[in-house]
Order: sequence, then structure tokens, then C-alpha cells
Amino acid sequence: MPQLADPQGGFAAALLDHAAALPPGLVAPSGWPVERRFRVYRNNVLAGLGSALELRFPVVRRLVGEAFFRAMARDFVLAAPPRSPLLLHYGEGLPAFIEGFAPAAELPYLADVARLENAWWRAYHAAEARPIEPAALAVTEPATLLMASAQLHPSLQLVTSPHPIVAIWATNTQDETVRPITAWTAQDALVSRPGAAVELRSLPPGGYRFLAALLAGASFAAAAEAAQAASAQFDLACNLKGMLEAGALVGIRPGAELEAGS
Amino acid sequence: MPSTLPCRAGVGLKPEHYRTILAEAPAVGFFEVHAENYMGAGGPPHRYLSAIRERYPLSLHGVGLSIGADRPLDLAHLARLKALIQRYEPSQFSEHLAWSSHGEVFLNDLLPLPYTDATLARIVDHVGQVQDALGQRLLLENPSTYVRFEESSWSEIDFLAEIARRSGCGLLLDVNNVFVSATNHGFAAEAYVDAFPLGEVGEIHLGGHAPEADEAGAVLLIDAHDRAVADPVWQLYERVPQRTGPLPTLIEWDDQVPAWPELLAEARRADACLAAARPHKQPRETRRAAAG
Amino acid sequence: MKIMDSATRLALAGALATVVAGLAAPAFAQADDMEKCYGIALKGQNDCKAGAGTTCAGSASIDYQGNSWKLVPKGTCVTMELPDGRKGSLEALDRDLPKA
Repeated sequence: MPQLADPQGGFAAALLDHAAALPPGLVAPSGWPVERRFRVYRNNVLAGLGSALELRFPVVRRLVGEAFFRAMARDFVLAAPPRSPLLLHYGEGLPAFIEGFAPAAELPYLADVARLENAWWRAYHAAEARPIEPAALAVTEPATLLMASAQLHPSLQLVTSPHPIVAIWATNTQDETVRPITAWTAQDALVSRPGAAVELRSLPPGGYRFLAALLAGASFAAAAEAAQAASAQFDLACNLKGMLEAGALVGIRPGAELEAGS
Repeated sequence: MPSTLPCRAGVGLKPEHYRTILAEAPAVGFFEVHAENYMGAGGPPHRYLSAIRERYPLSLHGVGLSIGADRPLDLAHLARLKALIQRYEPSQFSEHLAWSSHGEVFLNDLLPLPYTDATLARIVDHVGQVQDALGQRLLLENPSTYVRFEESSWSEIDFLAEIARRSGCGLLLDVNNVFVSATNHGFAAEAYVDAFPLGEVGEIHLGGHAPEADEAGAVLLIDAHDRAVADPVWQLYERVPQRTGPLPTLIEWDDQVPAWPELLAEARRADACLAAARPHKQPRETRRAAAG
Repeated sequence: MKIMDSATRLALAGALATVVAGLAAPAFAQADDMEKCYGIALKGQNDCKAGAGTTCAGSASIDYQGNSWKLVPKGTCVTMELPDGRKGSLEALDRDLPKA
């Protein structure tokens, strides 16, 4: 009997599999039934983790309603319980889960909105760093900057989507009654927390590719080239200004060729 | 490192109250936080906790170490706790007589243990390991439970006393947990408190519980921390400082969190009980004041 | 590394000038503004309480996988303004939930 060799394993399995038999050896006073008592533990697992997900995904919750969210959260919890006692990391996998969750198929933007909420959450808990002063860039030679790579703020998060995720997020966060989306266009988002508050911005054409390349370690020149290749409308000045406004840049690392003495 | 928490009422720190606390600087003995909520890299939780820590003593209460697990302790988690303790220098650290992880999976609940020799040996080992790693004495809290185990051969009190004796840890007496478990398992809460090794107790917890019923119609109390401390729990609590003298006493209110004044009123009530227990006061008069 | 063409260099030089000219020195968090000093205070997720709903919510009362009812999203309606002024629904139809 596996429960005897691994009693906590049996108990844990019965918590997560609601069709499973109760673990053996549990007692209630006077021989009263134990099923409902055990169910308190089952519920604690689901209710606590469900609340953690509700807190992390308030826009998804508003988009689908409370009953739907709870049912989806329950499924997610049972399929993918946390792997860490740090619940602030729990829910990273919800966007991918939503993509495969048939009852949510009618909301094709839902998974990307969940990705945006994940990004917001990561930025909220990210390490502190002091963004570079724009004036510090003024003294940088253009040629130096071109060859340099970016030291980006640890809170910086990027989300790309074919749906207007920033507009959906904004109206569901700020408005009592949601506003219609004026243009159903793709939106890429930049999330940062340069100080105490999380900031969310939508990116101009090519901006996502530009910042994603910088995140991957590319020089400003290479990142600009990638962005130009992605969109002819890419505007380097606009993107540099935006990333500074977002506090996304902490410093620059001189390029190898310049260090070698050019 | 001995506990330096003041023998006054403290309050579980909730984000809903961060700003009020910083703005009004209420007279509260200490604040307690759940360690795991401050294990992110940065951000507002740390900004607020740092600001509040500058002004108040802090007690760190772990909910994720899974000391009762039948697997080795999570060393990465232990390292995170150590780092948090170094950063915030809390007056003490406490955890639960429970398990909450199985292997890789974190179950997010304080799960019950059979009180056997084997469990005892394992927990003594784990407590020793935690105390060695953190370089300080741990307080271990008595749990609220909803089921018991046929195979248990120790009473909960003897079990806790023996853990304390063998490992050198202290105990955290959660009076609401005593009342919840006593009701759920049909034993006398007063007798439990009277028999508890009070000399090892470094802190008391008080919280609210929710009444439900099992399928046989018997009252089943849930440790919900979603309301004020119940009157019978206050009465049970009064027995403790009468015997031990004042002890740091925490009000836990984690769900349906009330406005700050309501929470503060609970702390004031605990302070009144503690004052009533001070030897230089006249017990009868102060006790009447506490009840009023 | 590929050498940037002169047009790009020129664009970048212009960009740097714009960046500096167009941005006033950012004001760092003001000490008298709590929200700005410390940020939005979200609840912590680890707790030591029993969950809301207790004995019932953990039972099989929500079971869209069974035959009781089909789960449909019923939250806020995300709509799009169509060119002719009508609103197009991108939301699930407002169907009633069949009773369990």
C-alpha cells in the first residue's frame, strides 16, 4: 500500500485529486466522519492558491467574471500546483494554460492580457536599480552609443501581442464601465518600475524588436537594424526617448571594438 | 539570540494599513509579517517594510518552511530566510508544527502531522537544522487541525514540549488554534492551556475563527483569521499571562481585513489583558477595565 | 560588427539631441507622496489562515467538466467600435448558465 510507505505523499495526492479516496488513518472524535474535515484542507489549497491568482490577474478576472475565473483557477491549480513556497512567483504558467483552456477560446486576447499582467507583476517585485539620467546620454558620442549595449533596468518587461492588450488592460483597470476599444490593432507593451510605481506603455512600430534585441545583449546599432528590418516606421529617436522616460536604461556597456581602441 | 520582542500587543502587518501606520505612527508593540511575502527581489513590499521596520520591532513568521515534511528541508528556502533575517533583523522568527510541501509541490496549507516517535525525531532534526542555519532560536507554533491520526502516540502538548526539550526551540502558543482544535476534536481548551509548557512560550497568537459544521452536524471551527477574536478565545488567553506574566501577543487578521482602528482596538484589548497580568497592578480592577 | 551607414549615425546624433532637449530632468520620488515613495501596496500571497469558503468550496460544487453546466466567460465585455458606428462584440454571447 503506497500510503503506508509514503503517508504524506498519499495525503498530498488526495488534496489535489478530488476523486481520490481519503488518506487512511484519519480520525474525528466519537467516530464522526472525517470526509468533510479533510475537505477543509482540500479547500484551503484551492482557496488560497485561487486567491493568489486573483490578486495577480485582476484584469483577466474582470474579463471572464468571478465564477469563470475561480473554475479556471481551480483547474490550473490542480494541473500545475506551485513548485515553490514563494507564492509571489505562482501563476507564471497561467497564460500558457489559458491558451489551451477550451472554455476561454472565445476570448483570443485573454492569454496575452494574462502575459501583460505577469509582466506587471514581475516588474512590481523586481530588484531596485537607478535609471540613467538622460543628461548622461547627452555626453555620449553617437558612435560610442551605437557600438554600446544597454544595461537595462531589472524591472523591464516586454509583451508583444496581435491584440490591443494595453487598451484592454487600461480600461479594465481604470474604468468602472469599460470603454469600447477604438481600434482593434496589435499592441506591444513595455512595463517598468523605475521607482516605486509600475509603469505601462505601449510601444511604437519596431519598438518591441528594438528593446527585445537590447535585452538579448545586442548593441544599439544592431538593435536599431533589427527594428528597422521589422518595421520601416521604426524611429530611433522616439524609442530612445521613450525608453528613458520609462526608466528602462540603467547604463551602457561600451562595445568591444571601442574598448579595443577605436 | 534571545527574543527582544516587547511584552505588549503586536499586530499582523497588512498592506491595507501600510500608509496609515506610517502616517499615524500608532503605539503598537511590534508588527509581524509572513516571511514569504517579502522574498521578492524588490519593489513596494520592501519599501514599506523597511520604512515600518525603522519605526517598530519586527517578528518574522514563516509559512513555507514545511518543518514537518517527511523530506529534507528546502535549503534554498532556508537561505532566503537567512537573508531576510539579516536584512530586517527581526526580534524573532517563528514557524509551524505542520508540513506544507511534498517534494517539489507546495500545497499552501499548514497540514497535520501524526504525533509519533518517528515524526518527533524528524522535526527535532529539522528544527535543529533551522536554528543552526539561522543562528537563532526558533519558536514553533501549535496548529489548528481538522483531523487527527489514528497512529498518534503522543498528546500534542507532550509532543511540543519534547520538541522544545530536545531541540532547544521555544514555542508560540496560538490560543485561537487551541480553541479551534479543542472544539474540532472534543477536548477541553482550558486543560490544554494549563498543561502547556508555558515556560517555553515566547509569543502568543490570537485570531478569529469561522464556525461551520461537519456532515454529522458537529461544530467544526475553521482557522480563518477573517474576523475579531472570539470571546471564549479572549477568556482562554487571559489564563496565560496570569501564569507567565506579560508575553508578546499578536493579533492575526488576514482575511476580510478591517479598517485600522478596528484592528488597533483588538490590540488594545490584548494590551489590557497583559496589563492586568502585571504584578504591580491590582488584578481585579485592571481586569474589569480590560473587559470593558 | 557591421558599420552603420552615415544616415543612421546622423539619425542617432539627432536622436540623442532630441532625447536630451525633450526631457526635463525627471523628478525623483517626493518624500511627501506616500504613493510615489513606496508604490501600490498589494496584498502578500502567503498566509497562514484557512481559505474562504471552507468546507463547501473544496467540494465538487464547481464542475464544468462534468455534465452539470458549461462554463462560459461572463465578465466585462470587450467591444470594438466599427467604422459605421456600431459596436462589434468580441465577447462570448451572453448565455445563461444552465443550472446544475
